[in-house]
Amino acid sequence: MIQRRPFFITFLAPAVVTAVILAAALFEVLQYSVREFVPGSLNVGGFTLDNFTRINRPIYWWVLLDTFYISLLTAVFSLLLSYPVAFALVRAKRDWVRSLLVSLSITPLFTGEIVRTFSWMLMLGSDGFINSMLRKLSLIDMPLQIMYTRLGVVVALVQFSMPVMIILLATAISHVDRDCEKAAANLGASPGAVFWRITLPLTLPGILSGIVVVFAWTMSAFSTPQLIGGGKVLMISNLVYLQGFSVLNLPFAATLSLIALIAALGSLVLMKSLTGRLEKRLAIG
Amino acid sequence: MTQTPIVPAAVELVRVRKDFGSAVGVADVSLKIERGEFLTLLGPSGCGKSTLLGMIAGFLTPTAGKIVVDGDDITGVEPYRRDIGMVFQSYALFPHMNVFDNIAFGLRMRKMAKAEIVAEVRRAIEMMKLDGFEERRVSQLSGGQQQRVALARAVVIRPKVLLLDEPLSALDKNLRAQMQVELSDLHRKTGLTTIFVTHDQGEALSLSDRIVVMNRGEVQQVATPIELYRTPANGFVASFIGEINALPVARYEIDGTDAALALPGAGRLVAPARPDRGFAHGAQVRAFLRPEHVRPALPDETVANVVRGVVTTHIYQGSHTITRVEVEGIGLIETRVTGAEIVGAYPIGAPIALVLDIGQAVLLAAP
Repeated sequence: MIQRRPFFITFLAPAVVTAVILAAALFEVLQYSVREFVPGSLNVGGFTLDNFTRINRPIYWWVLLDTFYISLLTAVFSLLLSYPVAFALVRAKRDWVRSLLVSLSITPLFTGEIVRTFSWMLMLGSDGFINSMLRKLSLIDMPLQIMYTRLGVVVALVQFSMPVMIILLATAISHVDRDCEKAAANLGASPGAVFWRITLPLTLPGILSGIVVVFAWTMSAFSTPQLIGGGKVLMISNLVYLQGFSVLNLPFAATLSLIALIAALGSLVLMKSLTGRLEKRLAIG
Repeated sequence: MTQTPIVPAAVELVRVRKDFGSAVGVADVSLKIERGEFLTLLGPSGCGKSTLLGMIAGFLTPTAGKIVVDGDDITGVEPYRRDIGMVFQSYALFPHMNVFDNIAFGLRMRKMAKAEIVAEVRRAIEMMKLDGFEERRVSQLSGGQQQRVALARAVVIRPKVLLLDEPLSALDKNLRAQMQVELSDLHRKTGLTTIFVTHDQGEALSLSDRIVVMNRGEVQQVATPIELYRTPANGFVASFIGEINALPVARYEIDGTDAALALPGAGRLVAPARPDRGFAHGAQVRAFLRPEHVRPALPDETVANVVRGVVTTHIYQGSHTITRVEVEGIGLIETRVTGAEIVGAYPIGAPIALVLDIGQAVLLAAP
């Protein structure tokens, strides 16, 4: 192939450049992670494995676990909220309903993360939209604490990841053979049974890839937990930021980054093998 | 293989109509389908045959009219409560289930006991010769096997009516011939009232008890295959079923016991006057003549209805040859003769005399 079409190499050049830069950066992080921290200086000292032993403290493990937990919650809730939207988006009979849903679900992608997070702060704060509404309706006396909680962070992250989830699910739903649904109805399946036994299983690949993508994406979330968590909810990127840019302990920040990377890759591999097995069992594909 | 008897239902369509916006899908079709009958809806694509089938299955709601099965009006009944089996053109097998689960699906939806399901599915599997494939994924099956799974899945629920939506069109030619035989075996074994949709007149002629020819949403003719071939009701049916030569419009002239067709520019063709033709003297008619009713004249033969022309094409088909002849004043005439001798005897461009067996022609009033 390459010999018959030499221009392929030219086409590969951008990928090669990107890969080389990425590898160099990763190597640099790896290099920093085994250096001594010199307090009060941005320069690093000699070789040491102390950073890795320091990791082994409950506080850091908790942040890592919390990151997993928030990512998983985000993926699951994003799935639950996105599926009906994606379904309506694909199956709506009227064109204008479809275009409306497409623009409503895609436009958030075009507003920056900071802008979206800031809007959520306005919504969730103690004098925010939600609390003032609830108070005006006399449903609560004291404002609910949503800002600076996991709940608040997850709410914002779910909204942040829904466009991607919707796109992935809509693709899967649009690939379902409508004749299969008709055949099921013809064989006596009620609309509910058609959904649970035909449509849902046939969209499982989309569901699984949606969960994997949103999970991985949320693992590296930074500004949303930073602003809405306000230091009270720490995800791994916030910890890296804290160490690297507040304490200026670059070696330890590098070590944490490395751990986060390994954890993310590990969980992706695990998920991939689980979903692969599930898909095989259901014989889709 | 005897199953517990299926009770086939009679189906009646009463002025069924389907509009798509301002376009007419099916225009006021009334039809009675007998218990156990194999009825074919035949027509070109877009003629409304699949729309009609979709309404019987319940996937489409008629704009007007009603659909009656065994005396019950089912027009507004949801598809899943209709007990009508259907085989789709794409088969629509469930890709996430194996062969057994595909066939068992309808029985499970009916909440049948497990042991009974196993027994019923086994019987269907034996009947459709799918033994040993129970655990296979449907994607691992050949086209013919998928077709049989689709059939087994539809008949195992003992439907009142079986609908077949162009089920053979995805198969290659040899397999199609074989599946035709299997379809007709299946119909004989189960006795199901079957409605078959196809655009292939060969399938329709060989399988059906009766054929409904449709065009542009309207029924053109309902008849047995033999009637349809011999006495098409109009020009559309005549040219849609089998090959046929349409002669130019002629004047029908009665002359004692004989009748003649006066063709402008090609003289007179004589035929015994048949009272069933019922045309008055001087009527404008068009004659339709099958290629097998046209033959080359023998040398020195003196018979009536000989026309002369020039060979333009030979289409050799093995058992027979179709030869196209340009006849002056008439146009292209096809003749169909056994064997290949005609190819050597009359090369392309050679003059040829043809005998038209006008007694066999279908005469229709010209509009």
